[in-house]
Amino acid sequence: MSFWQTIGRIYESSVFVYGTVLLFIYAMLAVFSMIAVRAYARKDKLGQGNMLNSSPLAPGITVLAPAYNEGLTIIYNVRSLLTLNYPKYEIIIVNDGSTDNSLEQLITEFELVQVDFAYNVKIKTQPVRKIFKSTNPAYAQLMIIDKVNGKSKADAVNAGINAASYNYFVCTDVDCILDKNTLLELIKPVMQEGTKRVIATGATLRIANSCEFDQGVMTRMRPPRQLLPRFQEVEYIRAFVLGKMGWSLLNCVPNVSGGLGLFDKEVAIRSGGYDHSSFGEDMELMTRMCRYAHDNKINYAIRYIPKTLCWTEAPESVKIFNRQRTRWSRGLAQLMFSHFGMFLNPRYGKMGLIIFPYNFFFELLAPLVEVTGIIYYIVMICLGQINWPTAVMLLVFVYTYSVMITTIAILWDQLTFRYYRTWKEVAYLCMTPFMEFFLYHPLIVLFSLRGYYYFLTGKKSTWGNMQRRGFRQNVPGAKTAAV
Amino acid sequence: MNVLPVFFTSVLYNLRYAPLIIQIACVFIFIAVTCTITAYLSILIGRYKGHRHEKKLAKLHPLIDQLLLDNVLMNEALIHEDAEEIPVAADAFHQPVFRKRWARQALIDRLIHYRNNVSGIMGEQLRNLYIQLELDKESLKKMKSRKWDKKVQAMAELTSMNMSIADVTILPLTNSRNRELRAAARHAYIKLSKNEPFKFFDLATEPLLLWDQVELFRIISTTEKIAIPNFAQWITYSSNKSIISFCLKLVVHYNQISAVPAVEKLLDTRDHYLRADAINCLGKMQIAEVEDKLIRMYNSQPLNCQIEILKLMGRVSSGKHVDFLRQEFLHSTDFDLRKNAAKSLIKNQWAAKNLITELVDTATAENKRILKHCMNPLIKF
Repeated sequence: MSFWQTIGRIYESSVFVYGTVLLFIYAMLAVFSMIAVRAYARKDKLGQGNMLNSSPLAPGITVLAPAYNEGLTIIYNVRSLLTLNYPKYEIIIVNDGSTDNSLEQLITEFELVQVDFAYNVKIKTQPVRKIFKSTNPAYAQLMIIDKVNGKSKADAVNAGINAASYNYFVCTDVDCILDKNTLLELIKPVMQEGTKRVIATGATLRIANSCEFDQGVMTRMRPPRQLLPRFQEVEYIRAFVLGKMGWSLLNCVPNVSGGLGLFDKEVAIRSGGYDHSSFGEDMELMTRMCRYAHDNKINYAIRYIPKTLCWTEAPESVKIFNRQRTRWSRGLAQLMFSHFGMFLNPRYGKMGLIIFPYNFFFELLAPLVEVTGIIYYIVMICLGQINWPTAVMLLVFVYTYSVMITTIAILWDQLTFRYYRTWKEVAYLCMTPFMEFFLYHPLIVLFSLRGYYYFLTGKKSTWGNMQRRGFRQNVPGAKTAAV
Repeated sequence: MNVLPVFFTSVLYNLRYAPLIIQIACVFIFIAVTCTITAYLSILIGRYKGHRHEKKLAKLHPLIDQLLLDNVLMNEALIHEDAEEIPVAADAFHQPVFRKRWARQALIDRLIHYRNNVSGIMGEQLRNLYIQLELDKESLKKMKSRKWDKKVQAMAELTSMNMSIADVTILPLTNSRNRELRAAARHAYIKLSKNEPFKFFDLATEPLLLWDQVELFRIISTTEKIAIPNFAQWITYSSNKSIISFCLKLVVHYNQISAVPAVEKLLDTRDHYLRADAINCLGKMQIAEVEDKLIRMYNSQPLNCQIEILKLMGRVSSGKHVDFLRQEFLHSTDFDLRKNAAKSLIKNQWAAKNLITELVDTATAENKRILKHCMNPLIKF
């Protein structure tokens, strides 16, 4: 056997083991998520959710929403936040040096005046210019922070954390639409935990592109009509309902999405807040909070709920989608690099022994393994060393397995919540996994590699410009119209 | 006609002599395809069942509502008379549809819904109807179920209908290892026990979670004819910290002055979270007598207790300790302490008007901002 043949054999065996472990993990997550989702549904059926709404014992929550040039939708989105059901909350919108008229719109719409606010810098950020409060008692819980642009969402959220009054904060994006019971649902796992300190809670996010909204409130949920956002909807269902719920059962949630998450303010501040230099600031904060909890012997938990509480606008063009995914994968590479000391470190418990290795092998390395696999395949074809029946059979296996896993995620989601009104909409969604393998997945791999390249070369990048189209609004007299 | 069998025979023949890896792959492909098809069928069946159930309920609810309106809610004879003397016309409810379990459950849910929204005689009449239709037996049957969620459902129904459950049935459940069951049993016990509704406070070994406290607080504060005990007994003797913390909240809610000495004793506890809760309780009850003691112990306290002491000075607003507040405001290195001292100074404005003016004029830029923050009515915290 020649040297190259030996290398080839080792590579093949490694990829075989890698693939088998990955498939096993997915199967395990499918089972765990079923247990977790069913347990949640049984508790939810008892219907005690709203009693907190009138209770004087409800813990206070600060809702933080950073905004950069969101003038197109900002008024509707702030109105949406003002409709939240919760007895004790405040909303802080951080205008991160927008160059459009977002701030002027807010001042006029919500009757804001500048106030002398005792702003305490617990986490260092770009300077805060002004803080506004409304003179209208109907908007008493609203506060606007106007700050110098920090070139990152992290910097804006940190400014909000500094000004937050309550012990818990919910971080969301100002372009996200929240369910009116979001705060009631997110605080529940914190209050229902006996021995552990819940440092973060997350919930399922969905794509808002084809949904209907009225004054910032979601009135009709639909899967996106365009293919690219629909792929993302399916991906979100798989990631949240199957992935995160499965990990939640083991108390191994790797990340609470930046789109919606509730955090323990004290732990977040002591961990240093969001890292403004990170491209995956949500995952980075979560890692640091876990690290802090381990270092300080806090018996912590991170919880997830399968209910959809947040709708976000997904990129419709490949160009914007590319920008988003490149940023995410770059963030992942940054995170792995800066916290590599936690990798397989027993000191960090499940974080070091399960979450970190999983993220390293099956999130970070996956695109690289796939690309090297394809190159190897092509070389083998050129050399005429492919056993075609075996190759085709394995490809069919991987394809059917991936379709099965995604379908199971849709099944848990449908059996528990029966989202979407019509059969047609569900059928639409169910067909998407069949195309995902050929059309969507290659894009993800490509953009991930681009992100890694940018990470290695240190290319400069900024946050913010998602080129939003705005949400569909129910307008009397017209069926729907864009904002 | 023979195409399919021939095809499968040929596939099986080829598979039998294929390499092991292909055989394994084939098995997994078969499993994956079967699972995917089963998942789609389950979605289809699940949605269809749900759709049918919703449709049936949409038909049944107006019928139940009409029957309840005609026979109970709009029945004038029932309004004027003593509810317990006049039987409700339950015959109207003896319809074939109510022989089905799902329909009886819908009737129970509807009765509970209406009972939660009406009070007095009407509420009693709905309860009578629940008994006459023997729906209580349905609930008791669920109580005997081995499934915890059925038991919880049963307790919720019986509690809503104010039906008694034997203490021997409920009390063991108040210490169940299942959180939901434990909470439901505690709520039911408080609401239904005629003798000692708070007895489980003595027996509780499991912690009273914040979530449970919310529900218990609601039940205790909304249940009529409940004998409110002196919570000092648990504040003094309970070894369950969560029970003590909850009792402190109830002491504040009922402004139970008689419990103040017991709360004061808690100031010497070694648990600083509990101590902070006790100071918070005394502050909300505006007990001025403890101010001197708290000032003496201030410097030895952790931050959470110090903040509560400063808040107490503001809540009590006795005007006796403005110098102490001034000193903390000017000299404390912690931002939160300075902010709370400033807030309390503003709340003591009647006694410290000149001092506040002087501070505004002479304070550093940051302290001036803190004072203006506290003086601004638009800013709550």
